[in-house]
Amino acid sequence: MADLENANPTILSVSQLPSRRHKGGAARHGPDARCDSIVYPKQPWPYGSGSSEDEDEDEDGDEPMDEQDIYDLISTISDPEHPHTLGQLSVVRLPDIRVSPSAVLPDPESLVTVLVELTPTVNHCSLATVIGLAVRCRLEQTLPPNYRVDVRMKDGTHAQDDQVTKQLADKERVAAALENDTLQRMVDKMLETCA
Amino acid sequence: MAQFRQWALQYVLADDEPARLEITQKAAREIESSRASSTAVGNWAASVQQWMTPAHADDDDRMDDGDDGASGDIIARANALSFLAGTLEALDKKVLRPDQVLMLIGFFGSMFSYDHKAGITASAKALRQLYSMRAFRPDMGAKILEAVCKIKEDFRLQTAATRLEIYELFLTLVQDPAVSSELQHKYGASCGFVVDLLQLCLNERDPRNLLVWFRILALLLTQYDPSPEVTAEIFKAFSAYFPISLRSSATPIGITAGDLKEAVRNCFSAHQRVSSLALPFLIQKLDQGDAVTVAVKVDILKTIKACVEKYDNPQASVVPYIEKIWNSLKYEVRNGEVKETIDATLEVLRTIARKLDGTKSHKLDVSLLKSYIDLVYRDCRDDLTNPTYTKQAGLLLMTVISANIRAYLLYSASFIDTIRQNLRQPKSPSHTRDLLLLLNSLLKTRMELLTARKEEHAEDEQSLRLESRTQLDTLFHDVYLPIWTARGKVPISEESDVLKQVVQGLAMLVSQQVLRPDGQAVLLCSASVCSEICSLLTATLTNGLTLSFNDTQADDIALEDEVVLGLRNIVMNYTDGYAEIATRARAEIRNRDWATPSEYALQALKDLLSRLTFIGCSEIPSRIPTVTPSQQQFSPLQHFITLVASLLELFPLSSQPRAQGPTDETGGVLANAHIISSLRASIIWFRDACEAKYGLEALASHPSSEQNWVAELRNLPEDWLLQVQRGDGPADVALGALEESGPEVYRQFLKLSLFAVRYIYRLASSGPTDPWSERSLVQLSQTAALVVRSLDEQQQVACNLAHEAFNFFHGPGEPTVPQTSSGLVSGLLTLGILQGLRPGALTGLYVPGGVAEQFLCDTSTFSTSSSRENDVRAAIGMILANKYKGGRSTSDPDSVVMKHVSEFWGAWLKDATTSTPMAPETFGAVITVTMSITAGAAARQDKHVLGLIPALHQAAASQDPNGETIAQSIGLIVKDNDLLTPDNHAVVKRFYKQWAYSHLARPLLQDAQPAAEDGHAAARYRVAILAVITNCPFAVYQDDLAPLIRLLITALANPAGLSAPAASAQVVAALQILVEILAHEPDALRSHLREIIGGATAVYRECAPSGPSQKGGPTATRSLCRRLALQVLGAVPTVFEERHVLRHAPPTQRMLAVACGDPVRRVREVARRARASWAKVVV
Repeated sequence: MADLENANPTILSVSQLPSRRHKGGAARHGPDARCDSIVYPKQPWPYGSGSSEDEDEDEDGDEPMDEQDIYDLISTISDPEHPHTLGQLSVVRLPDIRVSPSAVLPDPESLVTVLVELTPTVNHCSLATVIGLAVRCRLEQTLPPNYRVDVRMKDGTHAQDDQVTKQLADKERVAAALENDTLQRMVDKMLETCA
Repeated sequence: MAQFRQWALQYVLADDEPARLEITQKAAREIESSRASSTAVGNWAASVQQWMTPAHADDDDRMDDGDDGASGDIIARANALSFLAGTLEALDKKVLRPDQVLMLIGFFGSMFSYDHKAGITASAKALRQLYSMRAFRPDMGAKILEAVCKIKEDFRLQTAATRLEIYELFLTLVQDPAVSSELQHKYGASCGFVVDLLQLCLNERDPRNLLVWFRILALLLTQYDPSPEVTAEIFKAFSAYFPISLRSSATPIGITAGDLKEAVRNCFSAHQRVSSLALPFLIQKLDQGDAVTVAVKVDILKTIKACVEKYDNPQASVVPYIEKIWNSLKYEVRNGEVKETIDATLEVLRTIARKLDGTKSHKLDVSLLKSYIDLVYRDCRDDLTNPTYTKQAGLLLMTVISANIRAYLLYSASFIDTIRQNLRQPKSPSHTRDLLLLLNSLLKTRMELLTARKEEHAEDEQSLRLESRTQLDTLFHDVYLPIWTARGKVPISEESDVLKQVVQGLAMLVSQQVLRPDGQAVLLCSASVCSEICSLLTATLTNGLTLSFNDTQADDIALEDEVVLGLRNIVMNYTDGYAEIATRARAEIRNRDWATPSEYALQALKDLLSRLTFIGCSEIPSRIPTVTPSQQQFSPLQHFITLVASLLELFPLSSQPRAQGPTDETGGVLANAHIISSLRASIIWFRDACEAKYGLEALASHPSSEQNWVAELRNLPEDWLLQVQRGDGPADVALGALEESGPEVYRQFLKLSLFAVRYIYRLASSGPTDPWSERSLVQLSQTAALVVRSLDEQQQVACNLAHEAFNFFHGPGEPTVPQTSSGLVSGLLTLGILQGLRPGALTGLYVPGGVAEQFLCDTSTFSTSSSRENDVRAAIGMILANKYKGGRSTSDPDSVVMKHVSEFWGAWLKDATTSTPMAPETFGAVITVTMSITAGAAARQDKHVLGLIPALHQAAASQDPNGETIAQSIGLIVKDNDLLTPDNHAVVKRFYKQWAYSHLARPLLQDAQPAAEDGHAAARYRVAILAVITNCPFAVYQDDLAPLIRLLITALANPAGLSAPAASAQVVAALQILVEILAHEPDALRSHLREIIGGATAVYRECAPSGPSQKGGPTATRSLCRRLALQVLGAVPTVFEERHVLRHAPPTQRMLAVACGDPVRRVREVARRARASWAKVVV
């Protein structure tokens, strides 16, 4: 790629990205915190059967798939022209993701719709379609079958947002695009950074 | 004659090196045996005649045409000459006479004029051999040089290896002092031979040769005394190569560009006689501006530094160029962006300042240094007012001022003054921050100079004693305090940086020492200033308790952390400070009501205590007197004493009875627990500080005394520590001379800790129970373990700690275990001490029929115990069984205790599963204790365990429903346990798991197979085997994979009824083992893929949130089953070839797609990974 579409995008550092960790009261990590894990253990009772295995029991509770989960899935996709992720470039933003019906425990029989609105870094970005395609692929590869994915360009963020949105919504065009080896390779490359 | 000829011929024709060596040695022996008679030497020399003559005749023709015949001749001739050279090499160095050496030099020297094609390598080699002869005279060296130089233009036509030979010859001659003086005598100051050499070696490009050539040039500059003209010529010769680089080559020769740079640099810095050429040359190179790359720039700067550093007589060699150097260097820092060049530039400037100061033995006139720093100061002073350049200008100034003590003393005052003036009218917060940063680093450098003063000139120390302190004295009130008070109220993010600098500065200021006229170092600040600083910073620390939740911000936390570090540094020097901080913190804590504290208040308490602990105990304070002597006697332990006394005084913060029963962990009891946690943290911190300062083996290398500390401590009043802290207690009585440093401090610290543990143990065991919660008791128990564990065996025995483990430090007259305390309290207290004891200190307990045996063979009180109590009981049982030591010279001479224990439990098992059925809960509790005891003994590989195993197997297979419980809990025997670690002095044999497996599980493998006769027993055995194996590493069971896999499949085949804990435990174990096998030896599973994939899928379905057994079984187990099942499924396609998994792909992929919607997040993650790995299997 000879000329970059946007040579100088704004980049967020990883710590600035929305994440589940920051929501809970973050533990203090002062110089004095070295013994904290020993003298203030999570599990105050160290003996017997209940001591070691269930340490992270709190993570095993039921938690329905929410916007943050979707964000975590797609924010790690790499940008096709910068060595940064879509999350760092704010192409994918947490407030622009909606899951409906939200916060219900999934029943494999009922439909859930995921709406993702993308914000291209510049409004004439020709790679917007590819980014949309990658987001779509990623979600389809990772969400259960009862989820419907809707990827759009955010209104007013792209010169041709209607057209791009339309392309991304057209199942046949998406399938045809993925038949194209070059595009497929590009998408695979973008998805490499997803864990 | 004929003999030499023969040898010469053989040599010329020979191909391999050993044969040639042998021939030359023979020739050499021959010459030696004739005592180098003229005839023999003549014959030897003439033996190569036949190859020489024709060469001379038409030398020129042959030089030009390169046909085969001619080159054959050349090779033969070269070989012949090398025969002579080789013989010389093998010859005894004493044999030849001077005239013979001279003749040979003449012969080989003539080769350089006549035979450029064949003779040079061999001749150079021969000449080097001749140089090493005893008969060699210095004037011959001059002859050799002359002769060699005659090769002239043809030198560069030689191969690199030949040239190297000649360079080596030159080097040998030039560095020989005798030859060198002969050369100087002969040629005088003009050093004419040098010119010839330079002529000859022009244009050398081979890196290996260049290294030698540069050495020669450097020698010519240092060892000889060339005239200015010749010097200029020499300089030209090496400066032409600067800056040197090395092309990367396909065949590396072991020389790097760095070596070459270093060699050229050595030439530049070889002698001050080139200074007038070198420095202007280098500066001019540097001034080329953008044309110079970073690497070259760094090379130039390093070269300048080397020159300045090495030239003698700096007045003449360096001073004239200083202004030039400064003018071209200052912009490198002022406007520079590359760190490497900035660092290298500063290094040059610092070197100049050091050079101008003189050496340790010889100080130069102060005016030189002064005019240099004036130069720098003039240019930088104005930049300090400009926020853009403050940092850079400061860096330049700091570099020269901090280069040595003299510079510091001359200029620090005016530097501080300039900073102070600028701080009065700062341009922006970042300007203030930069200025403070400069001030702080000046203070830091000051301390470094002061500490290193002994390595400098004696004059420096004298002048340090007379240092003017007005500038430093006023810093607190003039600089730091106004900024702190003015801005401390409105912390904005940028200003918090400024405040951080202020905190660092204050800490640095308190650490400053000054020398009194008698040479004694004292603190710069008066006690009142130090105390003021302390209280200023402490206010920030205690803020958390006084403010409310909404008032704290992230910036504050960063600042608080800085304050904590600052205070720590302060109290390490100003030792009275810690007591002030602790008193203040104690008062603040006392001010609150802890009966029903909010969560925020508890967090604030925890933070405050944790910080207080860090400030006082993370380092051992050092004794530096203040100007007004402190009222308290210094002790390295004083902070620790203050903290522990404060904590003990604060405890309990709340004596309110727990609102919601004994397991209530909220409110006041939690505050109490925080105090005990802090006590433990303080001991950990101080122990780490001791180990860092005195080394890990500090105690081991100093045998302890056999004093009974406990008895000693018993004679002290209960509030002894408080008395010591106040300074009116009989400290010396128990602690001895506290002045000592080294391991003694460590030992006294342990003694103090033991006192604290004793005090609080007594409180817990006989005082009111309300303040205590499970959490605080566990912390107390572990604190005791921490202290006890650090004592060596001798001390543990001397203090009779094994006895105290059941007696809790109560005196002989007092009631041993008060009736008021519950089993949990006494259990935990016992456990704490036992956990830390070494096996050797416990032997007293193992009298047959004694305490230990009674404890290990006791099933009496189980029916009423809570599960916590049983946990503690199991833990104590494990330790007692593990640290058992029998045999002669112990309390159990016939080693019967463990035998009794094993027999007791064997009989009990039999009884409990056959005749008298027990309630399942009670049975479960007892069996946990049984297994823990067995685990403790098994880790030691006690042979009595083997006696118990058949009983275990039998009981597990019995018809009694409790047999199932046995089968399940048998895994506890090999389960990892924190108590069985070397830290806790447990006896753990390296291969005990293999040992246990081979006796516990392997014998059952056959009987457990699904086709076994007794189906009931087989099912129980399967549970037992899986329980054992899941706790063993793969290597333990890898030999039994085939029968094992059949068991796994059986376990997975019937996941229905997962609601029963036994079944789910079995499935979990089976899946865990499958994950291990898939990771280590997947091939064993290949023929069972269908069953495994089917089994894992079935388990997932069965445990699915909407699955059939939703109503039964704990959620956590079900999600664990799902996660493990997906983990197994996900691993399958990564370890097997596609053809094996292909037919399973469609259903598995469908199932994994659905699993991606699992309600549990962690399960979803595993499902996604599994789905991705199956997605690669293309159907």
